[in-house]
Amino acid sequence: MRHYENLVIVKPAMTAEEIQAVIKNVEETITSNGGEIAATDAMGMRKLAYPIEKNERGYYHVIYYSVAPAAIAEIERRFRINEDLLRFVTIKYDTNREVAAWNGLVEKAKKAAATPAKEETPAEEAPKAEETTEAAAE
Amino acid sequence: MSEKRKYKKRYCKYCEAKVDFMDYKDVANLRFSLSERYKIMPRRLTGNCKRHQDMISTVIKRARAAAFVPYVVTRKKVVPNPFENLK
Repeated sequence: MRHYENLVIVKPAMTAEEIQAVIKNVEETITSNGGEIAATDAMGMRKLAYPIEKNERGYYHVIYYSVAPAAIAEIERRFRINEDLLRFVTIKYDTNREVAAWNGLVEKAKKAAATPAKEETPAEEAPKAEETTEAAAE
Repeated sequence: MSEKRKYKKRYCKYCEAKVDFMDYKDVANLRFSLSERYKIMPRRLTGNCKRHQDMISTVIKRARAAAFVPYVVTRKKVVPNPFENLK
């Protein structure tokens, strides 16, 4: 088992439930290949630094997991087939120093997920509201 | 006169802060090593040590792949504060 991190960018032109369904599907891909998800971090809707497939924004979601190295090829193949993903980035945490950093990131993600559990729904709504005002300003 | 230093003594900011690992997701920390056109700043200008320069260059390349940081900035897109519009 080796530690990995996957960042996926989901297409923005979907409702919140559809995005959650896509993310659930992504997590299922990992678990069905023998991965153990340690923590997830929903970064939410963000502006992309450059357009990907003509999309200016994307929904960022980070998954920390550990899996046998051989399964990564299959997971990435599935991600490539998935048309709802704009982009995915797989990072390997191999050396002792990197593994320590991975543990730190997992702790941070867990803490972030635990503390604003109640605030999660308004927190999700707040950036959207900002974005709409930005769009109006533009 | 000849013994006087021409330039300020350079030091690695990451060594001073004892950075062991950089995360490609916090864009604000990458700012120091990026030019206003998002190019990776050379070691001779930032004073980074070899180890940290290698780290920062891989981290910036990851951030580019994840669309946190652009690959290229055209003349139209140059802005005075490049990290303002992100996030």
